[in-house]
Amino acid sequence: MNSFQILATILQGLTILLVAPFSVGLVRFTKARLQGRRGASPFLPYYTILTLLKKEMVISKSTSWVFRAVPFVVLASTIALAFILPLVFSGGALAFASDFLVVAAFMIVGSIFLVLGGLDSASAFGGMGSSREMTLASLIEPTVILIFGALAFVTGSFQLDGMFAQSLIFSAPHLIILMIAFVLVSLAENARYPVDNPATHLELTMVHEAMILEYSGRYLALLEYASAIKLAAFSILIANFVFPPVTIFSLSVGGGILAILLAILKVSMVAVLLGWLEMTIVKMRFYRMPEYLSLAFFTAFFGMMVAVYVKLTGPDIKYYTVFAAMSVFFVVLLFGRLRLKSILRYYAASSLMIAGIAYSLALMAPEEQTHLLIFAVVTIAVKVLLVPYVIKIMEKQQRHTANLQSFLRPASSYLLAALLLVFVFFIVQKTPIFALVEWSSLLFASVGLLVLGLATMIVHRNVFSQIIGLLVVENGIAIFTLVTVKSLPLIIEMGVFTVTALTALILSLLGSRIKYFYGSVDTEELRNLTE
Amino acid sequence: MAVILAVVQKNEKIIRLSAGAVSIASALTIWLFVSPQFFGTEVLITEWFYLDRFGALIASLIALLSLSATIVSVRYIGHEFKDGEVKINDLKLYFTLLPLFVMAMFLVVVTNNTLIMWLALEATTLSSTFLVGLYRKRSSLEAAWKYIIICSTGITLGLIGILLLGYTSQAGADQSVSFLISDLLKNTSALSPELVKWAFVFIFVGFGAKVGFAPIHTWLPDAHSKAPSPISALFSGILLNVALYAIIRFQMIANQAIGGSEWTGKFFLFFGILSVVLPAFMLLVQRNYKRMLAYSSIEHMGLIALGLALPPIGVMAAVIHMIGHSIIKSGLFFGAGEILLRYKTTDTTKVGGLLKYAPYTSSLFLIGIIFIVAMPPSILFVSEFTLFSAMIKAHLYLSIAVFIALGVIAFGMLRTTIGMILEKANTTDLNETREHWNITHSVMLVHIIAVILLGVWFTSSSGTGFVVDIIKNLS
Repeated sequence: MNSFQILATILQGLTILLVAPFSVGLVRFTKARLQGRRGASPFLPYYTILTLLKKEMVISKSTSWVFRAVPFVVLASTIALAFILPLVFSGGALAFASDFLVVAAFMIVGSIFLVLGGLDSASAFGGMGSSREMTLASLIEPTVILIFGALAFVTGSFQLDGMFAQSLIFSAPHLIILMIAFVLVSLAENARYPVDNPATHLELTMVHEAMILEYSGRYLALLEYASAIKLAAFSILIANFVFPPVTIFSLSVGGGILAILLAILKVSMVAVLLGWLEMTIVKMRFYRMPEYLSLAFFTAFFGMMVAVYVKLTGPDIKYYTVFAAMSVFFVVLLFGRLRLKSILRYYAASSLMIAGIAYSLALMAPEEQTHLLIFAVVTIAVKVLLVPYVIKIMEKQQRHTANLQSFLRPASSYLLAALLLVFVFFIVQKTPIFALVEWSSLLFASVGLLVLGLATMIVHRNVFSQIIGLLVVENGIAIFTLVTVKSLPLIIEMGVFTVTALTALILSLLGSRIKYFYGSVDTEELRNLTE
Repeated sequence: MAVILAVVQKNEKIIRLSAGAVSIASALTIWLFVSPQFFGTEVLITEWFYLDRFGALIASLIALLSLSATIVSVRYIGHEFKDGEVKINDLKLYFTLLPLFVMAMFLVVVTNNTLIMWLALEATTLSSTFLVGLYRKRSSLEAAWKYIIICSTGITLGLIGILLLGYTSQAGADQSVSFLISDLLKNTSALSPELVKWAFVFIFVGFGAKVGFAPIHTWLPDAHSKAPSPISALFSGILLNVALYAIIRFQMIANQAIGGSEWTGKFFLFFGILSVVLPAFMLLVQRNYKRMLAYSSIEHMGLIALGLALPPIGVMAAVIHMIGHSIIKSGLFFGAGEILLRYKTTDTTKVGGLLKYAPYTSSLFLIGIIFIVAMPPSILFVSEFTLFSAMIKAHLYLSIAVFIALGVIAFGMLRTTIGMILEKANTTDLNETREHWNITHSVMLVHIIAVILLGVWFTSSSGTGFVVDIIKNLS
């Protein structure tokens, strides 16, 4: 350990401590702007904390020493995180302590004391918040261990410091699944939407705020500050999945300043994204939390399976595979949805991923490059923008919005989709074409989309979902084209796109007329002509 | 051209007449284009066109039927316009889409590129959706919806087959992907039989939805009964054949690649039997005369498929059957249109006394029905006779089953028709004016005379020779 490392670690800690209130303020500011409010300055939390520090404290007589110890323990644990995690620099003086179990222990010490603090004052709210917090913590914990266990397996390092020494996403694209799981967990851990509402003291919504309800003055300042530090640290950690921290060994004075600026940039970026996220989603009911966290758990589990599989069998995961997987994933999400708007959104996202596949193939096959690029651009123009727009317009023509019917509830839809995909996986391996194609992952994706599209048409018994189902089938064939002949003659390609657009137009025109004449879009009503 | 004319003009009468004139011109053009292949033996192969005598035959049928259908439409849609069933915009739409629909079918038949064939086949679906759903009524919309959903899905699946076929051609000598029918036929030895089988399954099932083979036929009766009658005539008479033409083209390639027609024959046999037997039950209980004709179309497609399963004699029967069915069935739908115009219902129990009120329509309709159930003077008798002579040898029990089904069908259709013609009408608001001879009757009469003449010709040696020449290109 040399003085350089010590200096870097101290610098990092100070940077995080200074930036932390700004990150909280920026989230609020972004959210306000996106909601059409002016919002307070992003630097407001500094004033808030300073003001709180000057204020008198009111402490209940029924509290014990635990109540008074809590703010210090919580703050200390988060400050420790700020120093040991590889945030601004990696390879700092305390890098040895960033073993993921140690980090988890620091986090859990903080939350245990928070819980005790909530209980200690013996108020109703504190107890309720504490019990909720423990429920969440017990659900979060296994996911965190899964994520970092998988990362440790992939990178061969138990220390977070070693894990984040390289850009995980760029070196191994499949780790994006783990990153998604980590984002889900971080939202819960930092008491943000959709798990907790950081903005209110409403008894129905709060978890974190309930526990610190009894605190005031200086203690409250410490607790607020601690949660701000935690948010900033997690923000940078998420960003580090993509852009790794600067390694200490290649460091000069200019490099150090640059690294700090980079960290501030990361915090701002994540904070803005978080603000946007909180604007678009709503808080979930507390009883749906197990659902949300089990989603996080299964995402992490799936990510771990993929990571282990890739590590053991060793195929090179390429971008097109990721894009293909994502395009199937979006269709699976679409499969369980019943609102036209979200169905269209997932369709567009899935189509965008197909454009991504074409783009990544274009990078690999120079002789077909221009053609594949044209394919990607036209896909975006037609399938991401034009087709959803046309359908939306047509659906809006009839004023009253109808609910889209399906034979299955969302949960069983997802189960069915998963079963179908497993089925496809084994069937495709048996077909003779499997041996011939160069990119088998794309073949899986294409057949998967085909089957899911057909299933959508059967299971969703409404006109608009059937349109989307047909379009999904068409997307599957687009991937199939890429995987077999790579590119069709240009004139045919344009013909196929025209057919897609026209199909969407004609179908949605018919759909809107059906809505007009039948007053609903349920295909069960379309049964008069049976004799 | 017709499209431009239809869009520009405001007056409905001029639109109708100009559409008629243009259709005569385009039918003549098609004939001129295909005649060298029709009468010669050579096959026209360029980068864009692939036209042998079989293709030329289908193309001439398209020309004939589109001409008749447009002429009938001029009267039929004009009548509906007067009755207020069709608005001026829908009338324009009708005469815009009709030529597009015909052109798309023509393109399917003459193109050399399988992908263009796919595009054209999809274009026939897209262009005809609003022809089916022309009336803004619940039932028409439902029919149009089923039609486009089932056919689009089917044809989209067919694209997988085409892509697979093109992909296997990569393994050929020059390592390049080719989608041209002529290239595929030339290099069949290079295609992997395994993949060709997969491709053929997709193509057969996908395009089979459009042909209306039995388990995937559900769109067909709905679309046929709800579309305006000239469109039903075009659908039944030629669209099904065009889709079948596409399957036959791929069957040629598959047969050569696999080395024999047994494998593909099994598909035609299976779906053929189903398509003959299933409508037999439906026809017994049918109370809608347009649906009756539609189910009869499914049955005839089944018979043609059976013929294709039994080369070479069966294929001969299939070709004759195709010609005969196209001409008779379209004539019948024109007649059904006349009945519909008069009675405003498709319910057979409400139609009665046809002979008294509409002697021309009813007698022509009855002759048509007698012909379609393959009574002797009809050309279909020739083809079914040929078919059974081949089939009894190959599959005795199956042919007995088909024979029984045909008997049931004949009984069902004749009973319904005779009831319509002779029984007393039980509707109250009956149009009791006696009908006059009109252009639809002339068209029907021309069809019937054509069928009789062709029937006589095909039994003669020159006619048989003609068919033999056609199927030479098919094997």
